[in-house]
Amino acid sequence: MSVKIEVIEGGMPHTNIMIGGLVVSVICIYLTYLNVLTGTQLFAFFGGLGAIAAIVWGSHTIKHLCSYGIGTGVPSAGMMAFGSGLIAMLFATRYGVAAPIVAIILAAVIGAILGYVANNILSMHIPVMIQSLVEMAVIGALTLMGFAAMMTGSFELSSMTVGQVTILGLSLPSYQASLLGGALLATVFMLGGIAIQHPFNACLGPNWTQDRMLMLAAECGFLSMIPAAVMSMALVSMPAALISLIVSLVGWYYTYANYIVLSKRDAAEWLDAKPIPELEGH
Amino acid sequence: MESIVFGIGITALAGALATVAGAAEDTESNIGSQGDPNSQVQLAPQMGYIHRIFNKAVAGEPPAYGLWIALGAGIAWAFMAMQINPILAIVLGCGLATFIQGVYATTAYLGRTASLAKFGQPVYVDILKSVTTVTMAHAFVAIFTTVTMCHLINAALGHPFPLPLLGLIWGIALGAAGSATGNPFYGKERQYQSQKFGAGVPIAASGNIVRYAEAGERNSLDNGWYTAKLGGPASGVCFGLIVFLELWRTVLFEPVAAGWGAIVVGIIMILVFAVIDRYIEVWARKTYGPYTTPEKEASS
Repeated sequence: MSVKIEVIEGGMPHTNIMIGGLVVSVICIYLTYLNVLTGTQLFAFFGGLGAIAAIVWGSHTIKHLCSYGIGTGVPSAGMMAFGSGLIAMLFATRYGVAAPIVAIILAAVIGAILGYVANNILSMHIPVMIQSLVEMAVIGALTLMGFAAMMTGSFELSSMTVGQVTILGLSLPSYQASLLGGALLATVFMLGGIAIQHPFNACLGPNWTQDRMLMLAAECGFLSMIPAAVMSMALVSMPAALISLIVSLVGWYYTYANYIVLSKRDAAEWLDAKPIPELEGH
Repeated sequence: MESIVFGIGITALAGALATVAGAAEDTESNIGSQGDPNSQVQLAPQMGYIHRIFNKAVAGEPPAYGLWIALGAGIAWAFMAMQINPILAIVLGCGLATFIQGVYATTAYLGRTASLAKFGQPVYVDILKSVTTVTMAHAFVAIFTTVTMCHLINAALGHPFPLPLLGLIWGIALGAAGSATGNPFYGKERQYQSQKFGAGVPIAASGNIVRYAEAGERNSLDNGWYTAKLGGPASGVCFGLIVFLELWRTVLFEPVAAGWGAIVVGIIMILVFAVIDRYIEVWARKTYGPYTTPEKEASS
């Protein structure tokens, strides 16, 4: 049996964050389809924004799940999300335009099975376990699909398995130089896995505040988008990669500055080169 | 014959790089109080012990280093795919990965400390300014050597995995080696120098970590200086041995019985190390005193 030790006080209810994260993420991932419609790759950065929406939602799901006393399981919850989401995301890329929707449905099924196993077979009996693992799998699938769409310009399997190799000025298609063939998806996996667990892992404690954690989640998302944009230079056209890089840098600077302001607001004191304050009794 | 000599040379070079990486990784994580010593640094203010020690909890060391190395390797791979010179590509990739590491370190310190406001733990901005850069420097050494090692394994030894995947695997291994070997030295000895040697941490002493130094207040750079002497090199030897023996058995025994030779040698090595470990454990217990009460000792 587990005991709920922390309650979410004030702030936005979890359901609102979940619906907002899901809707924004799906819309942003679908906006990368403008690439196909217009014949460019300039709209790839929307994939990264979709991934960030999923990461913000995911950080709050982890808070929701880990408030049942699963303190040391915070980083592993991120890995769990991406492990289960990866299967759904890769399978769904075969379905063309319907890929994001297929990924959500399949991830939800995988998450429900994992939640059932954890709760009923491993006897964890945590009330929000099944719902949370369904959410985590969907978040993992959407984040991976968002970053993959941003780095290749499309969320279809063909664009993730075919890259371009230039030999003596001749451009040839190559599996080795693609997102999957070059295993860049492994880097994206870790980028998302750490970004999703870091906000709650860093902000947990008696003075946890929701707005500070969500701001950190957005910061982690934009921070992960920076190297994803740099890596996308090898896969998409240079203007598209530069747009992604500029969007991520601007977003990161804004969220990082705001996070520092919020930390300053919540901190007991903000000292520069001062000794340990003398407390009574010590 | 020539290919085997070449392979052993690369193996030795990779092992040497891994040794440097292990030492830098452990020192970096100790300066940032990452891994299991973090729980005591986090607990101390709650028990009334306000301190000036850096508290950087990004994740456990294996996932965190899985990210830093995979990131360095992934960006290096992308630059190499753009026909940039491998050395420049690796340096640029590791530089960007180090930047990400530094940002994560600052947000982790600010977040954890701000959430402890109830207990009066202040945020020390000078710690952020002076210590983050030192962890970033150590992280760069660890990331650069490990990514270079992965590139050698991929390009010189012809490993079939692409660079980012090798980076992920060896990054997790590096974090695990540093976490398992180096952390006890910092967490159990350095933080509890005021306790009797080998006494463990009784509940009454939880959070009562050493907060004052010979002169003034102890900071995380002191901890890095201390663990760089024994804990860091021990982690380096651990990770270096892992890399060296792993590549050594592959280079020498892979042609035997269609690859099964390397697997059999690997299993034999695991058994040999299990025997050595058991011997050291029993020897240490006999030499440094049993953890039983004197009465029990007399009756047995």
